[in-house]
Formats: sequence, structure tokens, C-alpha cells
Amino acid sequence: MFNEVINKSTVRSPYNKVFNWAEALPKNTILKKQIQAENLFKKIGVTFSVYNNYDVSERLIPFDLFPRILSASEWIKIERGIKQRSIAINAFLNDVYHRAEIIKAKIIPEKLIYNNPAYDIKMVGFNVPKNIYSPIIGTDIIRTNEIDFKVLEDNCRTPSGVSYMIENREIMMRMFPELFQSLNIEAVDSYPSYLVDILKSLAPKKCKGDPKIVILTPGHLNSAYYEHSFLADLMGVELVQGSDLFVNNNITYMKTTEGPKKIDIIYRRIDDEYLDPLYYKNDSLLGVPGVITSYKTGYVNICSAPGAGLADDKAVYTFMPDIIKFYLGEEPVLKNIKTWRCYDVKECKYVINNLEKLVVKEVHGSGGYGMLIGSKASKKELNIFKNKINKDPENFIAQPILELSTVPIFDKSSLSDRHVDLRPFSLIGHKKFKLVSGALTRVALKKNSLIVNSSQGGGVKDTWVLAD
Amino acid sequence: MLSRTAENLYWTARYLERADSIVRLLEVAYRISLIPNTKEGYDNEWESILATSGIKNEYLSIYKEIKKEKIEFFLLFDDRNSSSVKNCITSARENIKMVRTAVTLEVWNAVNSFFYSYFDLTKKKYYTKDLPEIIDLVKRNVNLIKGTIINTQLLNDGFDFLILGNYFERADFTARIIDVKYFILLPSTSLIGTQIDNFQWSLMLRSVSSYRAFKWAYGNSEIDYIKIIDFLILNSKCPRSLFFSVEKISYHLKRLKNHYKENKNFPSKIENVFRKLKKLSVNDILDEGLHEFLTTFIKDISTVYSDLEKKYFLGS
Amino acid sequence: MILNIKHQTNYNFYSNVPRLVQSLKLYPSNCKNQKVIDWNISTSIGQLTKSHQDSLGHTIYNIYNEGLIGEQTIISEGKIHTKDFHGVMHGLVDKVNPFCFLRFTYLTKPGEKLIKLSKKIKQKKDQIKFCHDLNRIVSEVLDFKTGITNNKTTAEEALKTEKGVCQDYAHILISLSKIFNIPSRYINGYLMDDNNISHYSSHAWVEMYINDLGWVAFDPSHKKCIDQNYVRISCGYDFSDASPIKGVKLNYLGEEDLNFKLDINTEQ
Repeated sequence: MFNEVINKSTVRSPYNKVFNWAEALPKNTILKKQIQAENLFKKIGVTFSVYNNYDVSERLIPFDLFPRILSASEWIKIERGIKQRSIAINAFLNDVYHRAEIIKAKIIPEKLIYNNPAYDIKMVGFNVPKNIYSPIIGTDIIRTNEIDFKVLEDNCRTPSGVSYMIENREIMMRMFPELFQSLNIEAVDSYPSYLVDILKSLAPKKCKGDPKIVILTPGHLNSAYYEHSFLADLMGVELVQGSDLFVNNNITYMKTTEGPKKIDIIYRRIDDEYLDPLYYKNDSLLGVPGVITSYKTGYVNICSAPGAGLADDKAVYTFMPDIIKFYLGEEPVLKNIKTWRCYDVKECKYVINNLEKLVVKEVHGSGGYGMLIGSKASKKELNIFKNKINKDPENFIAQPILELSTVPIFDKSSLSDRHVDLRPFSLIGHKKFKLVSGALTRVALKKNSLIVNSSQGGGVKDTWVLAD
Repeated sequence: MLSRTAENLYWTARYLERADSIVRLLEVAYRISLIPNTKEGYDNEWESILATSGIKNEYLSIYKEIKKEKIEFFLLFDDRNSSSVKNCITSARENIKMVRTAVTLEVWNAVNSFFYSYFDLTKKKYYTKDLPEIIDLVKRNVNLIKGTIINTQLLNDGFDFLILGNYFERADFTARIIDVKYFILLPSTSLIGTQIDNFQWSLMLRSVSSYRAFKWAYGNSEIDYIKIIDFLILNSKCPRSLFFSVEKISYHLKRLKNHYKENKNFPSKIENVFRKLKKLSVNDILDEGLHEFLTTFIKDISTVYSDLEKKYFLGS
Repeated sequence: MILNIKHQTNYNFYSNVPRLVQSLKLYPSNCKNQKVIDWNISTSIGQLTKSHQDSLGHTIYNIYNEGLIGEQTIISEGKIHTKDFHGVMHGLVDKVNPFCFLRFTYLTKPGEKLIKLSKKIKQKKDQIKFCHDLNRIVSEVLDFKTGITNNKTTAEEALKTEKGVCQDYAHILISLSKIFNIPSRYINGYLMDDNNISHYSSHAWVEMYINDLGWVAFDPSHKKCIDQNYVRISCGYDFSDASPIKGVKLNYLGEEDLNFKLDINTEQ
């Protein structure tokens, strides 16, 4: 297990200043700052909703004051890897929805694509604007040693958490301005303007003039609603719900106090199946009837494209290194985690026999649900999972129990190591790639826990990329 | 501005004003309960509170009897009462939450903190002795929010929708409260000049928090129904009068028209209402019949609202 | 054979529908089995807009209405030249890989009854023979009877009741063929029917994918492959996916009436 701060009993160079600073902080200062930070978050209203009967069930994601730090050279590698991956993912999506060369070349089994619920047959043969299906990708990365960063998961649909990246920085700058004066830390606040820029480069065919962007949210009960309104505000665009939009003669409009206003680009934060009740879920009220028609006829762009989720399917993930090689002819900069595919009889056998050493995931699950950590499971749980896998092997993959690196948190007032991951948010548009030098660091607050998801007791940290 | 944003802003303000009006009614009732031997007046007062809020039937279908504690609870906390203070505050916050970025952080904070402090109250059992404190909490917070709006909001179209919500609610509420009690404002030979009249009239003024203002406006002369009608309907300085609300509505609708560069020559309903009020005297109102006048007024205001809704909130 | 077809759909909305968007898959497939000589779609009210050709080859039209109340009539009519290829479909405009049609949907997901039925069937190497077997078996598991099942009846439920209409036959056949790993899909269309079994205006059958032959159309409610009496209109995973008119009313909770009328005749 890699300790990012202290390696071989010396402090690693990116953490030099911060570690000394943290060690020297008086205990009551830490406690005071923690309360201050929490109050700031509360005041701003950075919350995520928990589905419950009552609206009061809004929670703060716990924020830890000790920053996660990456050196300039480490970041360069991550950036190269993510860029490569984002391009490959979009090339892959374009291919499987058109000629499907990668399947013809027998690099990916056809069943994995065609029988995959995330493969949307309504998208086949349709040319999305500028061939970009997934302009916003959140890549979950873990660090396993001094050199290696590995990708745990790609999030190509509607990755969330970017608001925390920006807010965490805001809070840290207010709490500890002196650190920002003495260290050269890359800024993250240009993300919203980058996002506008990227989306504008993806205007639909029939858009004339400056493209009008909206963010489509399922509404204030959604767990990421805060993020939706946060982004809309910083991007200077309207935050709309399905009922704020309508389609007439294939054109999408927004209802305003000055009458209908034509819109060109929908950055949607609702799932595919809710987009248009005429095409997907018939009884959904979240979407806009006719918006797919508007999309298909070139009046509006929907980002990400319906069916883009295919690329972050866990079964497709296992092929990502091959996908990168196939489309770019390059070796992947960021490696995958070794993964066993249970649909393969041999690999499945290995998984069943070594369950206590593995992490098993459902192919279509997310957020840390439907997951088994072999080493922590009881005999009974192991048996239940064995049966589950045998019954439906295609629905499972397995990975070794991960060695997530550690960074300390302030536990009460002293430092204590915890496991972390890293989620940078990359943006890919028409002949453009943007990545702010920063990311969301998620941290498991329970000692020795490997689950960093906020819905299951995870917290967040500000993530610093040092300038050269 | 997005139609829904305008609508959410409007309803935020409207619900806050409603919560405020309800606790002001409760304040009067509380006052009466402190005066001995007013059993009858007290029962009347409770009934008129329910009638004003338009929830008398709702209440009776649940509680069967007019009882002080039950009415207080019904008005303050009962989920089954769509206009309970609790529901008003929840709705106000729900509305503003959906358009959080259309208001300043300070306005959002003011509404949000109000919501949380009121919710703390709902966790405890309600005792009638807590009433004054609750009334005070609501009044203080609503005032704080309104002040924050005026102090921090950009004076754009969103501001107009907030103010409009406030005054549509107030116009409606004041008209209703006068209507519910219109019988005590009629010249009826048997009661004129008696204790009961004076008492009822002062209650009437207090229920719209205008007792002191009335004294300021008319000096220490005797209260009489002519003055009250004049004060609550036609007075341009009384912030609770119909005239005042209509003037505000008219002003902010005009601002919207300018803001959206609409055709100015197009006559609007509110102008007619306002023009009529400006020309009226108390005697005109009494000639028309107070009840008839108020019925027409409430209908007019609701037509103005429908036009507003159609034009700005439906957006197509 | 030349067929003249007029398909009329009538809606009656009892109160004001603020906004109505309808998506139509009413334009017949144009392929070797059926050549569209001329075709016209119209609506008595609202804006009819041609949209796009979708991945399955449907030419989609949309109708947009604001403030609609009372009657709406949608007429889809024209002339078609059909040919009998013993069910084998030739020249379909279809970009979707057939293996996508191995997925189950709510209406076609097999339950106990279907699994049990499938276990009694012996799979044959000869795919075409096996598909005929399946078609025959399905045609015998139900008695044709209207009024028992409805639009929301699943294959499994229909099999349990042992009674149903063309749509139920089709769902059962789809479910069954997928159990045997044969891609299949739901077809919605018209049948020029001498026996007049059906009182429905439209008919439903199934296409199964056979290697080397491509999509082959079977009609389990008539125990045969389709011929020149069939006109193919739309296809999809199941009834709901293939439905020729879908409409979404916004802010409308009122009542509506719906009736169909279909006239088909041949030109000698």
C-alpha cells in the first residue's frame, strides 16, 4: 500500500511544506477551522440530497482540511493518459454506432455490445455533432505506487462531483490563504468557462449564431441538484427542468417570461431513459416529448449523447486498453486494473475459487452498490455471491482487492492515514481538449475502508496540482 | 428569464406573506384570549380567522369543534392544512430552492435559516403558551427576508416578481379579512357607539397590524367605520390597504412591461382597478355595498393574476 | 398484388390539451416485398412535420398541437405493390445489427410458463425448420379470443390465460425464440384478410433472424409465413416499442376516446 505523504520514512517532496505546516498546527486551530469550514459549506448550501420522505434529509459531504497534492510531473502523466482515453472512448462510441470495425476485427465480442442494455439501437447510424458522444468524462483513478496511476472506472454519462472540486478549493483558500501564497498551486476555477467553450464547439447542424446552452436537471430532489444549479450559475446558462422546455416543429424551445426562446445545446444531467417519453420511458415526466426528434433533425444537441453510457459499462472497461490500441495505435498511458470477466468460463472459475481475494462488481451497478469485497465478507456472504455469479456470470466482473494509496486526514485533531481515489473531469469538444489541473479526491473516512463513495461514508479533499 | 424562475420567485414571496398574515391573525386571537369575559367575541374571532384563510370547512372536517389549541395547531403546524404556517414556509423554501441562483446568497440564507428554525419547533410538542414566541419568530424572519430582498437583490425582473407575489397575497388577504367582518363595518343603528363596536373595530385594525398606524393617521379621534374603511381600502399611506397593494402591483407590472419592451399602449386591467380606487370615496363604496365592492375587487385581482400567469409563467 | 389502403385513427379529447406531441411510424417500409407506389399522411388538426429516418428504417413524422380540444383524425393512405417471398424480407433499410434483438423487454421477458414450454421443445440444427416449428407451437398455445388481453399483457401472462390476439401470439413467439438465441422482433402492419378472423384494424407478426436468409416474417396467429396480403408498417422490440402512433400530452389529465378504421382493397 502506497503512502503518498511518507515513503520510506521520509516525506515525499510534493508534501514537504504542507506536512510540516500540518504538524505544527495547534490542535484547537484545527478544530476551529474544521467548524468554520463546515459552516461555510452549510451556508453556501453545498449539500447532496438523500432520498427520503422529507426534504430535511440534506447532508453535507464531509470535507477534510488536509490537501491531496500531486507534483507537476505526476499530473502531466495523468493528463496524457486521460486525454488518450477520452479520445479513444469517443472514437469507440462513434465506431460501434456506425461501422463497428472493432467488432468485425474481433477485438470485442459482438454480444458484449449488441446485447448490452446500454447500447441504444436508436442511435445506430446517427451522426452526432462533431462525432463527440461523451464530452464530459470523469475518470476514477487510483494510485498503487510511486509510478503507477491506474484507471478504476470511466464515467461517460453524467459524472458528478465537479462542483466539489471547485468549492473545496474556495473553502481552502479562505481557510488557509497563507498556504496559497507560499506554494504554487494550479487554479481550478476555469472549469465552468472551459465547459461552456467545449459545449459551444458542439453546436448542432442547424444552429445559427451563438449557441444557446441549458442544463437539464431532474429537479431539486435529485442528489446532485446543488451541482446542477452551481454549474448553471457559474456558466451563466439557464438551469431547466423538462417542463421548462417544449418542442414545436422539431425545434426545441425554452419557456421564458418573454415567450419561447430557441435553444441549441442541452447539457443533460438526467439519464437516457428519461430524456423523451416518446422514445424511452413512456410515463416519464422528467423529459421533453419530441426532443429526440429535434436532436435527430439537427436542431438541438444533447450532451452526452444517448447511448454514450456504453463506454463506461464495466464489461467494456475491461477492453479499454485494446480500445486505445485499436483506435490510436498507442499503448495506454494509464493502465487498467487487472479484471476477470465472469462470462469467460475459465476466468469465472478462477473468480469462484478465489473469491476471498477479490472484489466482485455487478457490471451495471454503480456507486459502490452491488459489490463484494472478498476479504471482508462472511462465509455466508461469499456463498450468496458464488450462487449469484454462477446464475448470471455475464453480470459480474472481479478485480484484485485494490491497494488504494493513503493520504492523512485530520481525525479529531491529529493526522491519520486514509485511502483515497482521484477523479479528474476532462472535457472534449470539436478539436479541443481541456482539463483543469485539479480533481476531486474522495476519501474513505473509516480507517482501513476502501469505499470512498459519498453515499457510503466517504468524504472529500481539495486536490492540489503544483506548478513547475 | 425562465418562466418557471419567475413563477418560483413569485410564489416564494407569496407564501412568505401568507405565513406572516396568518401569524398576525393569531396574534389578535391571542390578545383576545387575554381579555376576560370575551367568550363570544373570542369564538367569533377564531371563526373569522378560519373563514379569512378560507379553511373553515377543512378545519371542521378534521376537528369537528372550534377550540383554541386545536385551531392554533391547525394554523401553525398541521400538515393537513395546506395554508398552515409550516406548509407555507416549506413551500416558500421549495420554490426558492429551485431558483437558488436567481436570488442572492443572503436571501437564500435568510429563507433557509428560517426554514430550519421553524422546523426545530415542529420537532417539539406544541403548547399554547409558546404561541407568542412563535408569532415573534415568524414575523421577525419574514421581515428579515423582505429586508434582505430589498437590500441585496438586483432590481431586475426577478425582483419585480418577488414584490408582485408579496402584494398579490396582501391585496387578497386584506380584502378577505374586511369581507369576513364587513357586517361590523356597516352602519347598524342598534350598535353604533357601543363598547362592542369599538372593541370589534380595534380588533379589525389589529388583525392587519394597523391599530397603531391608524392612530398615527387619524390622531386620537374616535374610531368609526368610515375611517376604518377609508384606512384599509383607500389610504395610500397604510401599507396594508388595498390601495397600497394595488399601487405596488401596478408599479411593478409597469416595470416588467418596460423591462420586456412590451407595447405600452396596451391597456392593462390593473390600471383600471387602480384608476377606480383613486376616484372612490367611502360613501361610493357604501353605496355600491361593501360586500359587493370587495367581491368585485377580489375577482378583479384574480383576473389580473391570470393575465400575469398567462403572459409570464406559461411561457408559450 | 396492388393494395389500396386507408388507415384512419380518430381521437376525441374531451377537454383542452395544452400541448400534444405525436410521433408517427405510419409510413410503410419500402423494400422488395412491398413497393410504395404512393403514400400520404395527414392530420385534421396540428402541424405535421417530417422528421428523420430512424435506425430501423422508419420514416418518422411528428404532429405538434397546442390547445387541442375535440376531434383529431389522422389518415395514412396510399397504394402499395406487394410480392410474396415466402416470408423472407428483402431490401429492408435497417442499420441495426440483428443480435440487438436478443434482448428481452417487460412485455417479452419469459417467466416460469415460457421456460417450461421452451424445455419441451427440441432445438434443430436447421434454423429455418426450427423457426417454423416455433411458429407452429406458438400458434397452438393460444385460442384466438379478443377482449381477454390488452396492450399491457405480457407474453407470460397471455400464455397463462391461453387466450389472446395477434399481439399476444407475437410476444410469445418473440420470447420463445430469444430463449433459443434466435433474434426476433415485433412487426406491426396490415393484413388483407379473407377469413376476417381479426376485428382489429392492424395486425402483428414476428420477424426472426436466420443466418444466410436474414429476417424472415412469421405470423403465429395464422400459422404461416407472411405473403402478398401483408403490409409491413413498423417494427421494434415489442408492441409498445413498435406502436405506430405515440403521443405525449403535457399537463393534461382529461379523458379521450380513440378509434381506428381500416380499409384495404385490391386493385386487379
